[in-house]
Amino acid sequence: MVISPVHYIVAPLAAAFLIPLLNKLYDDAARVVPGIVLGYLVVVSAVLVPQVLHNGPITEIIAGWRPPFGINLVMTPFSAILALLVSFMAFVIWLYGFRFRRTLKGGVVMYYEILQMMMTAGALGIILTGDLFNMFVFVEIAGITAISLAAFYRDRDGAEAGFKYMLLGSLASVFLLLGILLLYTQTHSLNMAQIAERMPAVAQGVKIMALIFLLVSLGIEAEMFPLNSWAPDAYSQAPSPTSAAFAAVLGVAAVYALARVSYTLFDAQSVSMFLMVMGFLTMFFAETAAIAQTDLKRMLAYSSMGQMGLVMVALGIGNETALFGALFLIINHAVIKALLFMTGSYFIYNNNSKRLVALNGIHKRLPYVSFLFSLGALAIIGFPPFSGFWSKFYILSGAAKRELLPLIIGILAITIVEMTYYLRVIGRIYFGKEETEPASHKPSINALVAMTSLAVIIVVLGLYPDLISGYLHKASMFLLDKQAYIQNVLSVK
Amino acid sequence: MNSFQEVFIRYRELMEIAVYGVAILLILIGLYAVLTKKHLVKVVIGLSIMDAGVNLLFVGVGYITNHTAPIFSPGYEDAADKMVDPVPQALVLTAIVIGFAVTALALSLVIRLYRHHKTANIEQLNSLRW
Repeated sequence: MVISPVHYIVAPLAAAFLIPLLNKLYDDAARVVPGIVLGYLVVVSAVLVPQVLHNGPITEIIAGWRPPFGINLVMTPFSAILALLVSFMAFVIWLYGFRFRRTLKGGVVMYYEILQMMMTAGALGIILTGDLFNMFVFVEIAGITAISLAAFYRDRDGAEAGFKYMLLGSLASVFLLLGILLLYTQTHSLNMAQIAERMPAVAQGVKIMALIFLLVSLGIEAEMFPLNSWAPDAYSQAPSPTSAAFAAVLGVAAVYALARVSYTLFDAQSVSMFLMVMGFLTMFFAETAAIAQTDLKRMLAYSSMGQMGLVMVALGIGNETALFGALFLIINHAVIKALLFMTGSYFIYNNNSKRLVALNGIHKRLPYVSFLFSLGALAIIGFPPFSGFWSKFYILSGAAKRELLPLIIGILAITIVEMTYYLRVIGRIYFGKEETEPASHKPSINALVAMTSLAVIIVVLGLYPDLISGYLHKASMFLLDKQAYIQNVLSVK
Repeated sequence: MNSFQEVFIRYRELMEIAVYGVAILLILIGLYAVLTKKHLVKVVIGLSIMDAGVNLLFVGVGYITNHTAPIFSPGYEDAADKMVDPVPQALVLTAIVIGFAVTALALSLVIRLYRHHKTANIEQLNSLRW
């Protein structure tokens, strides 16, 4: 069997649909099968990513229809790195949640695993597809499963969070369809490469309308400022591994879609200002709202939105340095925010309370978890020895190359805001007045392995960013090169 | 050409545009319901009206006057240039299925909300604040 990008989508989807059957044969199949499948995807990435980086993009023809006609998958260096990231993070999140979910009763674990697998499949589909309508389908798969996961627990306010997400998600899907329809009437194609090729001939007015529709709909998924009210609710009501997955799987895919649409379909110059302004507003409102939060998971969710805003700003700046920073930040955000949600959920689990006040002096009860949380918090602010520093540094130097002084000042000012609320939490953990109560729920071994490996990645990437920077440079160069994408897809025989 | 034929052609032209008008009207009606209605079920109805509008718009865009269904059947072996555009129809099929799934999920969430809060009024659901 030859390894090809199709496996990214087929394997998790097939597993999701087979889990109910397998569960009948073997009791724990629902918990074991996703791990096997996601592990396999990591292996697939390990084979495919070097291939893509050295020999250029792979275009996979599906069902024998050559690119302009059929649906095709395109694995460019940019999407290859994100596919690797998503499958690896999905695997780590599965590992983390492997025993945690013993607390759930009976068949519920099965539904959780099915939804989580389908969300991963949807996210990978968004990242790999080369067809605009296919992207819509995957956005819907990821969106519907995310809504179901947000509403997973019956006894929480999950249904309310799910319904909010549903309202915005439906608007997103309507706008996405309208945007696709407009592009289809003008270019008579759904293939992204062909649309990009025919784009210069499209009338300016239609172009702008299509752009607005696509940016609004993808902005909803990528937590852009006025449309992101679903995010804090969904993050805080979902099961903890899912909160991590929202940041590390769904968020990555949404930002990828935004980048692909604005860089390949449209002109990066024309969206530059819009992305910078909206990204900055997203950052500003999210980080200031995060200060006011009294609930740990909501605070992390707002911080997540802030990071997404920074990615958008970097996409808007649009030179090679900033894109490098954006890609680095996507990776950092996925790894660090997942670590924060994982460790944070152990605090919540032990306190039976999500409130920040309950964190006082918790380091005595959970020393190692507290250490990892603090490491993650420092990394996401961008303290020098950790990987978060490099992404922020490159985004700022990208902005400096374009001489965007107000933007640099703004980002630095917001970093101070970010620092305030994270350091406040670290302060509570280490110096808060403690209540003497032994930890009732020590982290299980698999969760410890998952969290430690993420922490190691943060530290290693922080100390040796050169390990990946060559690949990231290649990927960001390729994202800028629209013609190469078009040629690669359309010349496939 | 007599006046009846002229009126008929005008009517046909109008109808071609009318499809777009009706579709956009449906989308706006749906949007209005989503934004203003207080009852959860009415909001869900608004969502599906919006979906229907988009689907109608797709079909309308693919339609070409006086062309046949895009199926190669006996007697229509080489009628490829006399057929309507099949792609939007294929897309609409997919979109209808997705819309159905979204509506079903939304209604199940409404049931869950009603059981949890003992109300279906959207203004009384405020346990999650900003």
